[in-house]
Amino acid sequence: MVRRYAAIAGAILVTLAFLFPVLYMVSISFKLPKDIFTVPPRWLGEFTLDNYVSYFHQARILPRIVNTIIIAVGASAISMIAGSMAGYALSRMRMRGAGVVGGLILASRAVPPIALVVPLFLVARKLGLTDQYITVILAYVTFLVPYVVWLMRAFFRGLPKELEEAAMIDGCSRFGAFFRVIVPTSITGLVSTLIFCIILAWEELLFALILTNDRAVTIPVAIAGIAADTEKGGMWGPLAAVGVLTVLPVVVFALLVQKYLIKGLADGATKG
Amino acid sequence: MKSTRLVAAVAVLGLAVAACGSSAEEVPADGGGLGTAQQPVSIRVIANDAFAKQWQDKLVPEFNKKYPNIKVTIDGIPYNDQLAKTMLELTGTTATYDAVLADDPWIPQLAKTGALYDLKGQELAKWNDPEYDWADFHATPLAAGEWEGKQYAVPVRSNLLLMFYNKSLYKKAGVAEPTDETTWEQYFADAQKLVQDTDGDGKTDSWAVGTYFTKDPLTPTVWQTVLNSDGGKLLDDKMQVAFAGEAGVKALQTQVDLLKYAPPGASTYQFNEPLEAFRQGKTATMFMWGSVFKGTAVDKETTTLTPEEVGITTMPAGTAGPGAHRGIWSAGISKKSEHPAAAWTWLQWVTSKQGEQFVGKEFGTFPARNSTLDGTPPADWAGPVYQALKDGYEVASKGQMWRPRLPESDAVQQILALQTSRAMSGQATSQQAIDQAAKEITELLKTKGYGQ
Amino acid sequence: MRRVRLGEPGTAWLFLTPALVLLAGMLLYPIFYTLWVSMSDFDLATFQPTGWVGWRNYEAVLNDPGFLESLRVTAVYLVIALPLQMVLGFAIAFLLNVPWRGRGVLRALFLIPMVVAPVVAGGVWRMLLDPLWGVVNYTLGLVGIGPVEWIGDPVLAMASVIIIDTWRWTPFVVLIASAGIMALPGDVYEAAKSDGAGRWATLRHVTLPLLVPVMAAAFVVRWLGAVKMFDIALAATKGGPGNATNVVNLYIYEKGFRSLEFGSASSMATIVLVVTMLITFVLFRVSRRLENRW
Repeated sequence: MVRRYAAIAGAILVTLAFLFPVLYMVSISFKLPKDIFTVPPRWLGEFTLDNYVSYFHQARILPRIVNTIIIAVGASAISMIAGSMAGYALSRMRMRGAGVVGGLILASRAVPPIALVVPLFLVARKLGLTDQYITVILAYVTFLVPYVVWLMRAFFRGLPKELEEAAMIDGCSRFGAFFRVIVPTSITGLVSTLIFCIILAWEELLFALILTNDRAVTIPVAIAGIAADTEKGGMWGPLAAVGVLTVLPVVVFALLVQKYLIKGLADGATKG
Repeated sequence: MKSTRLVAAVAVLGLAVAACGSSAEEVPADGGGLGTAQQPVSIRVIANDAFAKQWQDKLVPEFNKKYPNIKVTIDGIPYNDQLAKTMLELTGTTATYDAVLADDPWIPQLAKTGALYDLKGQELAKWNDPEYDWADFHATPLAAGEWEGKQYAVPVRSNLLLMFYNKSLYKKAGVAEPTDETTWEQYFADAQKLVQDTDGDGKTDSWAVGTYFTKDPLTPTVWQTVLNSDGGKLLDDKMQVAFAGEAGVKALQTQVDLLKYAPPGASTYQFNEPLEAFRQGKTATMFMWGSVFKGTAVDKETTTLTPEEVGITTMPAGTAGPGAHRGIWSAGISKKSEHPAAAWTWLQWVTSKQGEQFVGKEFGTFPARNSTLDGTPPADWAGPVYQALKDGYEVASKGQMWRPRLPESDAVQQILALQTSRAMSGQATSQQAIDQAAKEITELLKTKGYGQ
Repeated sequence: MRRVRLGEPGTAWLFLTPALVLLAGMLLYPIFYTLWVSMSDFDLATFQPTGWVGWRNYEAVLNDPGFLESLRVTAVYLVIALPLQMVLGFAIAFLLNVPWRGRGVLRALFLIPMVVAPVVAGGVWRMLLDPLWGVVNYTLGLVGIGPVEWIGDPVLAMASVIIIDTWRWTPFVVLIASAGIMALPGDVYEAAKSDGAGRWATLRHVTLPLLVPVMAAAFVVRWLGAVKMFDIALAATKGGPGNATNVVNLYIYEKGFRSLEFGSASSMATIVLVVTMLITFVLFRVSRRLENRW
């Protein structure tokens, strides 16, 4: 019992340690510029909401958050479907060359982003597809799919093999077995991978910057703009505020799906 | 109301007839026209994200009062990737952007693509505003938009690296305030006294200087200015390295020495940190872009200082005179624009006397026109600033105080940034850093076909 | 755990099709283009590769001390940061796995460091580590240490980048490790318990072997992410002082996007691609061997 409480205390402490810079960011976001850089450092200055207001309009935060949500959700959805199917094939199906295909999918992630972004822009321009959601979504899919394949391959491997045998005896096709039995059973792994995908798409800067102009611009581009604001200086308050605003949707999402982060359904499946 | 519509409709018809026969590839003879109420024309501008929205919200409506039928969209790009993005956009077969904003050292690079109009040339002359006064521009900012004898861009936001000083801290240290005649020797003598303990608790709490010290393309501009004010140059007219000798080492060493009188951790200072240190009253001087003056001396929410406390003048003098370093945002027109008439009309308006005074008043932007510089400043605090600006323009032209004027400017500046950082952090002596930079720049220019 | 032998190879390829089509469609041309640029003169005026120059760009790049230095810096960063993040991540995952009401919330909160935009994260850390007004040095000052030049000193700058990167990406390992731990079948524990195995014995002989596939996957994914890291280095140190934290992807990015040297940038990208693929292949083989051992 003591051991358990010690572990809980440890968990809380470790989480707080990791959140410390974030809490500092939150505190900055409510400070006036003159209270941010002080000697000695202070947790609280004169309370202000200016940082949330000042750039909110200038950096077009709201439409850009909407763009970011559309792109992150779109790219993650496509990647999860394509990637988990591939991961399933690689981990649980008999096929020749699984190693080579798996290795190639993984290696495709090794291309430095700088080598991808220029040609992708040139192609998109030729097709008249710059500044469109679909272009950014497809660009993100290229780096999300290998991760999904690889992570889901690992999660699927851990499942007992009786699972789809039973389903297929019941008359399910491979696809049926995959979607009706394997997917629900691996929900923890799927949700974790999905969260990872959304986060990666959420914070991507280089592709978003080059492939968009106006309509499809995402939040990281707005943030880079504020950070490089060489006109006035003293933009740390607004930057922290935008930082807080962009973290919120993901945290809310994570809290909503947290029950899937706890409940291991594999237990239930094997026992039931 | 009805009659205007009728006129507009007739005008549209006329335009349609006039447009007949011109292929879609070529720019129509009327340059796309200036639009009508029924058929407004749209132009798109690529700008720095730092002021794109400001322009969209305030400058464009003001422009539309005079030209209601030209719709202007201003897209902001984060500064660090703006050059690459602009290059990508400009070099396509079709132009997304009609007008392009560029920082000081980018003009040769952009001009070399052949994608920009010569603003003083024949192609745009048809749409020249007869009242547009080229001669009114101060030569220093105007030169930023020029390359190989052609005017590819015109100044829209001018700026100079100047010396800010905190009068209260000078007083407390018992040191006379700097003037435009203060030499580097005098400055360093003062600097020792400006590292001080202001509240008497026995601990140093105020330092002499803050400026760029980190690894950044803007950091070498400080010692470049020192070099220039000793009459030295980075590259000579044949584009050969001219800083490799004693003068270059001395200039770089000057910036390294500044670090001794800067606050702890100053070796990591970029743009924001020296600014904050100065605004908090932690440093007595700051070598920084003049455009930050309002946020540093006037705006209560960003600074602890007052306009009376903050002085601004040119950087300390070398053997050839005081220093300043030019940083002008200029704008040009894309040759691939389908609406050059509207784009050039817009740009002429923005950089006209009227436009320049408007942005000066609304955004505190610094002017490039003599008439604005000599006219009534938009606010009381701007008086001394405009004076420093005028002095700075003079010395900047005299000593050619700007980043190298060649398409490889940014590549050169990157090499300088790295070697400057090595000297700053003690990984190399000034001599070693200068030698290495000279070697790498010579190598770079050789591969680019410059005779070395 | 044996691979399940079910289904037809044809069906397997059907399952693979969407992923392969997406990747091939999006990647083949860019890779070809990069190879092409790396072997030619890049004309900035038209933004197109012109004139074939063969291996000249590669020769130049391999003689560029900055590039070689950046490879070394990347290796140092990877060798320290990756194991650190893996060990910390799995340890914290076990800690967060202790059942109580708040653990779901803690897990969700633990994601935040990953979500903070790199520019903001780099900036906040720079503030925390600043010798003059930073909280870290202030705290160290209270116990008589410092002020420490975290970002200004070449060695400490690397340490700072690793600390920031570890802060940022350990949560990923925690996320994947937690999912792996929770997916463990409960019956093996009961079996182990009834065999009288102790806590450590269970961990070593039951839990860890079962976690090997997930550990290997998390490591490989983290490896591929870490190889590409440049945003944090850019935001925190700009690769400085000197070249002390100039990781290879930052070096390539600056060559391409700042200096506009797309020819050499493409050659470097190709070299990094080949090296990364080779190492990834080795990791891939090792992880498959590990998986098959248990």
